[in-house]
Amino acid sequence: MSKAGVVHPKPSMKSVLLRGSFIIMALYIALYVVYVVQQPRALGAGAIASLFNNTVPLALASAGQAIVVLSRGFDLSLAGVVSITNVVMAVYPLEGPGGALASLAICLAIGAVVGAVNGWLVAYLRIQAIAATLATMIVCQGVALLILDAPGGTVAEWVSYELTDRIFNFIPVSGLILGAVVCLWLLARKTDFGIALYAIGADEHAARLSGIPVLKVRFFAFVLAGMIYGLAGYMLSAQTATGSPTAGEPLLMLSFAAVALGGTSLSGGKGGLFASVMGAATLMLLQKVLFSSGVSSFYTGIFQGAVLIIAVMFSALLTRLGERKNK
Amino acid sequence: MTSRSQNTSYIAVPDKRGNAKVSRETISAVSVAVLCVVILLGSRFISPSLGSWSQVETVLTLGSFLVVLSFGQGLVILSGGLDLSLPALITLGGVLSTAWVGAGNPDALFLLPLVLVGCGLVGSFTAVGVVWLKVPPFIMSMATSIMVASATLGMTNGTTRGAAPELLTDLMKSQIAGVPASILLLLAFVFFGWVLQARSVFGRHVYAVGTNDQAARIAGIPVTLTQFLPYVISAVCAGFVGMMLVGYSNGATLRMGDNYLLPSIAAVVIGGSSILGGRGTFLGTVGGAILLTTLGTVISAIGLNFGLRTIIEGSIILIALLVLRDEFFERLRAFRRP
Amino acid sequence: MLSNTMKMTLAAMSLLAAGTVLAQPAGAQDKKFKIYLSLSYSGNAWQSETANIVKALAATSPYKDMVDLKEVISGTDPQAQISAYESMVDDGADGIISFPISSTALNRTIKRGCDQGVLFFMYDATVTEKCAYNVSYLTTGFGENTAQALVNILGGKGNIFLSRGVPGNSVDKHHTDGAMSVFNKYPGIKVVAEYYSYWDDRTTQQETAKALAAHPDVDGIWSQAGEYGAIQALLDKGGKLVPVTGENSNGFRLALANPEMQAKGLKGVSAGSPPATSGYAFKLMMEVLTKKRDLKAMNIEYPLPWVLAENVKVCAGDRFENGCNAFPESKVPSSFVTEVLDPVMLPELSMESAINGTAVDGAIIQPLPKEVKEAVNAPGINCEKCDAPADAYKPYKIEPIVAN
Repeated sequence: MSKAGVVHPKPSMKSVLLRGSFIIMALYIALYVVYVVQQPRALGAGAIASLFNNTVPLALASAGQAIVVLSRGFDLSLAGVVSITNVVMAVYPLEGPGGALASLAICLAIGAVVGAVNGWLVAYLRIQAIAATLATMIVCQGVALLILDAPGGTVAEWVSYELTDRIFNFIPVSGLILGAVVCLWLLARKTDFGIALYAIGADEHAARLSGIPVLKVRFFAFVLAGMIYGLAGYMLSAQTATGSPTAGEPLLMLSFAAVALGGTSLSGGKGGLFASVMGAATLMLLQKVLFSSGVSSFYTGIFQGAVLIIAVMFSALLTRLGERKNK
Repeated sequence: MTSRSQNTSYIAVPDKRGNAKVSRETISAVSVAVLCVVILLGSRFISPSLGSWSQVETVLTLGSFLVVLSFGQGLVILSGGLDLSLPALITLGGVLSTAWVGAGNPDALFLLPLVLVGCGLVGSFTAVGVVWLKVPPFIMSMATSIMVASATLGMTNGTTRGAAPELLTDLMKSQIAGVPASILLLLAFVFFGWVLQARSVFGRHVYAVGTNDQAARIAGIPVTLTQFLPYVISAVCAGFVGMMLVGYSNGATLRMGDNYLLPSIAAVVIGGSSILGGRGTFLGTVGGAILLTTLGTVISAIGLNFGLRTIIEGSIILIALLVLRDEFFERLRAFRRP
Repeated sequence: MLSNTMKMTLAAMSLLAAGTVLAQPAGAQDKKFKIYLSLSYSGNAWQSETANIVKALAATSPYKDMVDLKEVISGTDPQAQISAYESMVDDGADGIISFPISSTALNRTIKRGCDQGVLFFMYDATVTEKCAYNVSYLTTGFGENTAQALVNILGGKGNIFLSRGVPGNSVDKHHTDGAMSVFNKYPGIKVVAEYYSYWDDRTTQQETAKALAAHPDVDGIWSQAGEYGAIQALLDKGGKLVPVTGENSNGFRLALANPEMQAKGLKGVSAGSPPATSGYAFKLMMEVLTKKRDLKAMNIEYPLPWVLAENVKVCAGDRFENGCNAFPESKVPSSFVTEVLDPVMLPELSMESAINGTAVDGAIIQPLPKEVKEAVNAPGINCEKCDAPADAYKPYKIEPIVAN
């Protein structure tokens, strides 16, 4: 029954996927070159590490969002989960490496619980994802405010120092964690679950007919996404070293932009987690580039908007060209 | 569970679509209205002053902004899109009508329609991106939103000047035969919106395109135009909401639209529309908007800590969604006709 | 296919690079001070006035030849501001003058900047990092003093609304804690509704309207910024006004002094956050940078404006002269925050500077008074792991009436 191999992904799918991440990589590198030309200090290990530290929370949030989007959903609860985990980290700091591990487990658990509620509402009770997660987001915001009613608290020092540090004075720890998540995903994509996720996003009806347990897969997509948001909140806490009951809100819209920038179709079934991570990285880098190119700060929004549109068009165009050649 | 839901979504629904559609959506709209009344009456337990005509007036006035806004949003969603640019357009409409017209300047009133035209042009920019350049609506309208917000910021240099044109203050504040003009405006708008969405050729085309644009194209419907216009209408509505807000509070600020984006989507979805398009009624959306506003008024009267109030608000929205779910009505109907 | 992509990417890269070269300011290498102005920018009058007067001062002689000022807007996202600070430090800034979005999240970045010799001056909002200069009115007791004024007007009893700022914000919490410390002393005072108005006139008006639906019998409103919206909501309800305390919007000041409004029952006091703080902070920073003043990093207090109805005086010109403290309706919008000028600290500026960011013709920077006033500790606001003084939250602007 659950043998998902019934739905063979189209042979071109993989190449399309690769191309999607290739395009966003190319864009990122191009932007980075511009950045380095403007700001030669950007090549220093310290600057690279701080860029990573800045990028990782949004990158993880976008990775979680990508999983839900792949299954043709939307997840607004991201903002709530990140806020709750952030205030929990700040109000109940657990010192030392053991404490850090325990905190991580708590964050993942919080994400999993919220994700499970979302999954249950969307998959089994059949409420539209955007509406259900809007409601859970509002509830989560309330919970975060109950735990901490104004920014404050201190995240455990071990977390805030070690996780933003560099190994051998070169490799940023946050980058390693992000890398681990991406690698885990690349493995998961090959499993029945991963294949089923794409299949549901592409065509739920067909997936159901071919014996994929649609409800279960959708449920776990939300749970998995929730856990990744929990990790995002954990990393955000490491970076800011303090708690804020509204910490997650700025990440919400950006996560959708990152997912789309990475070429993941918001109507499901196409794209991937790595490309979304790169999309997030590009957005963060764009801030730096716009900063150092001295665009009047009133008008930076116009450039951000334009880059968003052009990048998405560009990647859609190339994908279409690629498909045409494959035919 | 699995087999039953499979049943409803894939075998039963398409077959009886023709006759079941209207009645289900009517039930949905009616039950939202009932829910509003229940909340209003229930609110008497919180404060004896609630549930009065004066509260209804407040709800309708505050709700009118959301109703107008979610008409546009609803139309875009119905056509299979999504419009995230509404907050920026509200601000644009508000800022332009204070900057171009302002108070004590009756000669410049002809500029008000031009403000709406400007908003419409922004809407067509979004539409061009979505319809011709095939940028996903989510991204296109988000980009428009960022760009418009940034342009408004630059244009005003951060400070909005000017007060509300008298025409707009009259629209929101005067009374006609003892009834606030804003409520009459709301009623007129709801009628207009209902006609456009449910009774006009254009409305029928939007339903068809939202359900299946390929099929609509084959059926000879002008698909491109039908996908294009909702964005323009939505932008004009948002600009108009900006004007209403200016009239209501006698001035514009650069973040006057910020708190309206998610409610505009929530109103549409709570009103029974599908976020994927092709399904939903404007009357349901009106109910959703009024429900959200009622809820806001009642919640703010509860003497609890803000965190708890937020949790209650989220939970009530969730309960409303659960109650208004399709399956619930299916079961209800099955119960009535055993 | 691949080569196509490469070509396009290269083309894009070279275009961007070309743009960069052009965008590079000419002659950036002379010895000007590189100052960054980092804003939250929530798009309200208050924020833009603070930025405008800094720009105006930087364009006033002799600073206009000494300062290279760049403005960066970070929205409401602390992470964006962290990233902006990092870029500024990397760019070799001499000083950063900023409205910090969070009192704690920026600390580490600020510390890193301090270690590289960058001066950080925070205005209005503060940070708990010790190496930054905080210039703020926050420790002057806005909450408790306005609350006491309201209690006195109401004679110690009545139903009131609290119109607060932004949920989960430390400034809002500090003000409200101060106010509640006073209200709690009077058993006759009952807070019947408490709502968040995001320091915005329109939101205040809508939220007050909602609260009025439930409690039409309210006796007074304690409000943070956005107070003019509360008055509008009361007017919408028809006729009667109640005492309102609030911040410094021009509309509120004019209303307080308006005999028609007074006849309807409006009383109150206008106090709260003065945008002039940013100008004061900027001038302090310049004096430190130009070695005219020797000042270690500390918390500096800016006095709390305090204007009762009888003290409102409309200015004839564009400056605060002869003790005037509001502008006529025809000159500025109602949301304009009046306390942006200061005849003693900022004599260089006029109303036009606050609105347009332009320097006044022929103005020359005047030195600041020698004395700076050190602010008291406010835990979580301007210091970490510190104790508030024993008399924190004690009103001093007005004699408390006896509770009955």
